[in-house]
Amino acid sequence: MFRLSLKMTIARKGRLFLTSLAIILGTSFLSGTTIFSDTINSTFDRLFTDVFRDVDAYVRSTDSVDTGFGEQRAPSPVAVLDTILKVKGVSAAVGDMQSYARVIAKDGKPIGQDQGPPTFGGIASESSAGLWNVEDGRLPVGAKEMMLDRETAEKGKYEIGDSVRVTALSGTRQFTLVGIANYGDISSPGGATFALFDQPTASEFLLKPGFVDAILIQGDGTLSDEELAKTINAALPVDAKLETLTGAEITEETTSQIKTVLGFFTAFLTAFSFIALGIGCFVIYNVFSITAAQRQRESALLRAIGASRRQVTVSLLVEALIVGVLGSVIGFVAGIGLSRALSALLNAIGLEIPTKGLTINSNAITQTVLIGTVITVLSAILPALRSGRVPPLAAMRDTALDTVQKLTRRIAIGLVLIAAGAVGLFASMNGADVAILGLGVLGVFAGVLVIGPALSKPVAMLLGKPVSALRGVTGSMSQQNAARNPKRTARTAAPVLIGVALVTAFTALAASIKNEIRESIGSSFRGDYALSVNSRGFGGIPTSVTDQLTQLAEVDQATGVGFIAAKVGDESPFVLVFNPKTADGLYDLSMVEGTQKGLTKNEILVEADKALNKNLTIGSKVSVTLVDGRSTQLTVAGTYTDAYGNYAISRELFEGSATPLFDSFVYIKTAEGVSDENARTAISAVSQDLGIGTLESRDEYIDTQAAQVDQFLALIYGLLFLSVIIAIVGIIITLLLSVFERRREIGLLRAVGMTRSQVRTMVRWESVITSLFGAVTGVVLGILTGIVIVVSLNDSGFSAFTLPIGNTIFILVGAFIIGVIAAVFPAWRATRTEIISAIASA
Amino acid sequence: MNQTTQVTQKIDLANVAARAESASKIYGSGESEVRALDNVSVSFERGKFSAIMGPSGSGKSTLMHCIAGLDALTSGSVYIGETDLSKLSDKEITKLRREKVGFIFQSFNLIPTLNAYENITLPLSLGKSKGDKAWIQQVIDTISLNDRLDHRPSELSGGQQQRVAVARALATRPEIIFADEPTGNLDSKSGGDILKFMRRAVTDLKQTIVMVTHDAVSASYADRIVFLSDGHVAGEMTDPTPEKVLDFLKHLGE
Repeated sequence: MFRLSLKMTIARKGRLFLTSLAIILGTSFLSGTTIFSDTINSTFDRLFTDVFRDVDAYVRSTDSVDTGFGEQRAPSPVAVLDTILKVKGVSAAVGDMQSYARVIAKDGKPIGQDQGPPTFGGIASESSAGLWNVEDGRLPVGAKEMMLDRETAEKGKYEIGDSVRVTALSGTRQFTLVGIANYGDISSPGGATFALFDQPTASEFLLKPGFVDAILIQGDGTLSDEELAKTINAALPVDAKLETLTGAEITEETTSQIKTVLGFFTAFLTAFSFIALGIGCFVIYNVFSITAAQRQRESALLRAIGASRRQVTVSLLVEALIVGVLGSVIGFVAGIGLSRALSALLNAIGLEIPTKGLTINSNAITQTVLIGTVITVLSAILPALRSGRVPPLAAMRDTALDTVQKLTRRIAIGLVLIAAGAVGLFASMNGADVAILGLGVLGVFAGVLVIGPALSKPVAMLLGKPVSALRGVTGSMSQQNAARNPKRTARTAAPVLIGVALVTAFTALAASIKNEIRESIGSSFRGDYALSVNSRGFGGIPTSVTDQLTQLAEVDQATGVGFIAAKVGDESPFVLVFNPKTADGLYDLSMVEGTQKGLTKNEILVEADKALNKNLTIGSKVSVTLVDGRSTQLTVAGTYTDAYGNYAISRELFEGSATPLFDSFVYIKTAEGVSDENARTAISAVSQDLGIGTLESRDEYIDTQAAQVDQFLALIYGLLFLSVIIAIVGIIITLLLSVFERRREIGLLRAVGMTRSQVRTMVRWESVITSLFGAVTGVVLGILTGIVIVVSLNDSGFSAFTLPIGNTIFILVGAFIIGVIAAVFPAWRATRTEIISAIASA
Repeated sequence: MNQTTQVTQKIDLANVAARAESASKIYGSGESEVRALDNVSVSFERGKFSAIMGPSGSGKSTLMHCIAGLDALTSGSVYIGETDLSKLSDKEITKLRREKVGFIFQSFNLIPTLNAYENITLPLSLGKSKGDKAWIQQVIDTISLNDRLDHRPSELSGGQQQRVAVARALATRPEIIFADEPTGNLDSKSGGDILKFMRRAVTDLKQTIVMVTHDAVSASYADRIVFLSDGHVAGEMTDPTPEKVLDFLKHLGE
């Protein structure tokens, strides 16, 4: 039987090709993202092993805050170096620093972007424990000298002896470039930039005099790394809150931290690759269903000559197995190409990953082929069982093409699923968990897909009405063809439906978020201009800039707002830091209770919902621990609604702290009677000197902030584009099979006078109707999902929902175009139908 | 061969609905060459019911397909009325089939998604023409299917389906109707009905029909039979009876 299956599989090359195509598409993205993640991971493994090659031990503070976006750790006092150097077994020790510093190129523009790879400032040391190797020139000495990594020097067109401007925590300064360095063996890790100084300069300029981020230690070889770390740890002052790690440990930790950060990205990709795979499943299932129906006579003949039901079913499953393995292997190979494309894409947007070729793990291929094969065989089970049930007599009959089964049970199951989903959605609208919301959405989607065949006929007939009116009998046949096989139409349209529903829901969500951002900023920001950076958490605008701006004659008032990681109660959020002394009338938190004016360093403001949730009222005590480990009990002084972040504290709290504090936004109110041009010129003079920050008017600023959502949306659109391709391929496959199946019909039509162009028209409109069916149901489902998500994630209820009309029209037009494109090849094939052989094949 | 050529030339050209001149159809080449039609010349008179007979592989279907413009000749020419089909493009031939030719096939004559009436008027709708309403009604009356017009093919019996096919072939009032074994799939009662309808279409409605068949009884409904054997015209017969036909076929086989 296996051999027969194999023979029959190979004999039907066209069918084999079409089925494989669906599997290839589904698996290639999975393999692409897997290879890509593996490549990234092994790259960083290699990089940090190389960089920490000479580091045997690592001393750092025990105080840290982990916000979920990477850990922030308190600085260590440089004085401890003397203690460490005296420990037996230590041959060298040096301070290490990775703080924010932005190098300004010769043309006055900063090197590196707010959202690109980080821009670092660090320590260059002659110690063999240091991470940097001088390639050209010499090490910087004193407050006036610096060194750059080779890549940044090249980007900024800087040569040794040039004067370089750098912006960091304590403002902007000029340095003389005295050397160019390599990080380990490479010019720069991951496209990051490095400005390097001697230790005292680095501490004072980048962080706080007398402090470094950590201490790198090299042993003299007499002790093992573990013993060395133990010995050092024992020698450290007990109250210093320091810990010692071995070289292997810090390598491991750094690598895994980078992997965690990149993990968001790869997890995102993986999620979408599974969406693509799921959509691919529909296409695979559809192809097997159609081909199983088409070879009903073949199956019946097998049964008539003595094959058992099981044998017929197994033969189709064996075919699925063969096609599954074949398609997955090709899909895996295609994925290699895709992962290259992903790398190229990342390079193009500036996130260079210093890859040395692709890393292809053996489990990437195992995973892809296994998943691909399993889903193919699973998709084939139902059609195979159906094939087995074909009575032997069907061999003598004409193939029954239009099997109209009872839809009652289907509708019942679908409605139950939708109802169950709706219960989940309703619960989440009333404040249930986000997981319930997800399950609810899933339930409704599944229900709609189950009910699809019941919907496809009436909807296709309705959508086909104008076509029929416009195109006469040809259009009417398109309409009938789209509606004649409701299950097939529903399955073919399913990828379009899912893709469109997701796009619509995300678009609706994004539109609502944008609206909210606009309203929120609109009510909180009362000034004329905003200077902003887009790098919450790492670096930003030095706090001294606000003072510089206030001193300008053109500026009436300026206030900075920053964000900083801190422990608040049992959470580790980013906390909003503002200056209550200058914010008045310029930055308004929309207080619900209490006042923001005159907030002291012993007080905290809490977002109204958060306060409710955490049971905080005016007068409650909240414990706040900053990154440097300093813990304070703050009193709740009020609640607010409109701001980023759930907690707001005064800048005063950071006076004397070793925690680096930057501003993310500086809001500016110009003096009366100052023209736009004069105001911009004056403010730009300060901001350009910094090489950081974007200066925008109030309206521009609000637009930009709202537009940030578009970037996220663009990413989702880009990934969903893949499902569009799968949808197109799915329609092409179905149409080809339908055209093949209706060979005699098309032959007859041609015989009685249908021209080739009419045949094309007929196939094209069938395709368009099918695609539009998916799009229309998808849009409806997407909008409903969007409403539910917005309402359940948002407190302002339905009013927060914004119907994305433009996008909806765009999607419907897109679906129309998809239908037309998908029909091109099948329609051409249809016109090539040979009349004689079509009629003769009785 | 010469004899038959002379016979055809006796027929008045103006009264010819379709004809073939030195028509050859060759499949394959070299060793595997098959001459389905070998230099066949034949014509079919307007207003008559003609039959083409011959054993399997005699080339009778090929001849019909080529004259009807469904297939192209290797050499020679075919005419529908005065139109030389070899000079037409695919689009023009399609238009000609739609307007001047009617077809009745052995099976699968109807589009399953269209009802009986839509199937009957299909060639007209494809040409975006309304056709002659009175004529169509007359045709429908003739095949007595008035009460079945809104039924889909799957709701009609085999005989009813073939009657709809006959009506479809007549609907455009074509120059000529080709029928390829129209009763091949029917029981003898339904088959007889179809043949009677076709006979009436010629006698009462003045239509022209050419029917391919291998059945002597069916052929006996025709005014004239052309016999084909191995791609050649092997003879012809006017006013046939089943006995005469069987007798002729017996001799043809020898």
